[in-house]
Amino acid sequence: MGYLIALVIAIGFGVPIAVIGGGLGQGKAVASALEAMARQPEAAPKLQLAMIIGLAFIESLVIYALVIALIMLFTGVPSAGVLLKTLVK
Amino acid sequence: MEEPKTWLHFLYVKHMLPEWLPEAVPVTWVVILIICAGVIAMSGRWKTRLPGRYQAFLEFVVVSLDNFVRSIVGDEAKTLTPIIGSFFIFILLLSLFGLIPGFVSPTANINTTVALALVAFVIVQYYAITRLGFVNYIKHFLGEPLWLAPLMFPIHVIGELARPLSLALRLFGNIFGEDLVIAVLMLIVMRLLGNALIPIQFPMMLFAIFTSFIQALVFAMLVGIYIAVALAEHSESH
Repeated sequence: MGYLIALVIAIGFGVPIAVIGGGLGQGKAVASALEAMARQPEAAPKLQLAMIIGLAFIESLVIYALVIALIMLFTGVPSAGVLLKTLVK
Repeated sequence: MEEPKTWLHFLYVKHMLPEWLPEAVPVTWVVILIICAGVIAMSGRWKTRLPGRYQAFLEFVVVSLDNFVRSIVGDEAKTLTPIIGSFFIFILLLSLFGLIPGFVSPTANINTTVALALVAFVIVQYYAITRLGFVNYIKHFLGEPLWLAPLMFPIHVIGELARPLSLALRLFGNIFGEDLVIAVLMLIVMRLLGNALIPIQFPMMLFAIFTSFIQALVFAMLVGIYIAVALAEHSESH
């Protein structure tokens, strides 16, 4: 029971912190892309493509944190005692 | 989480497939069959003038992919467009299949994405080794000042191995996350409103179409960029 509480607290704080970093990064990327598009509207399609691809890269870092959270939730991370017992055997 | 049952569950019931095979594998076969059927439908009926609508659509797809690959790789696009285009179309169709009721996305299973990333890794290494030559390939790992080689070699190797890992995890996390959000939205509505079938997950499904497209594009483009970087080493050393 305590394990579940600890797991929920860890995931509940871990994933949103990763999302903060991802949000800041994506905001910066979109801001500079929009500024460049406003400066030179005829280059807008190329800038839009590069912006979307850059956003996918930044988002993938947040997705890594989400994947760790999913692994912990669904397949379970053994507690330290169980892990040590299996290693000693 | 227990495995969802798809339309292809009868293959397991009739014992044609073993129990431990994920439901995603027969769905992958169905997608492959659809792609092959879609292309074979055009065989022997290629018109140079006055193309029909289906031929015009296929030409549009191929020419767009060729332009896209050409913007990444440059002149090698003749040999590379089939590979990168195939990655794009395959991953796009695999990811979109999950939105059809009664099917799962094979890319929402980590096995499919790791397999695709491994294939991409082998393709990139093959291009690097055949174009650079094996000695130059190893020298590229050793870095510039040769006395820093014991430090640079593990860093380069780990960086090289991190690329297929990131490809697999990015695709898996995006597609599985989208499917999970759709499933959770459906569950919330059904549990709170007493099994009411309100399609509140429909905007998320539209967003999932967008995400599948972007992730397929990013995967194919990354494979193209890795190959282009490996080939650029080749032309630099001349």
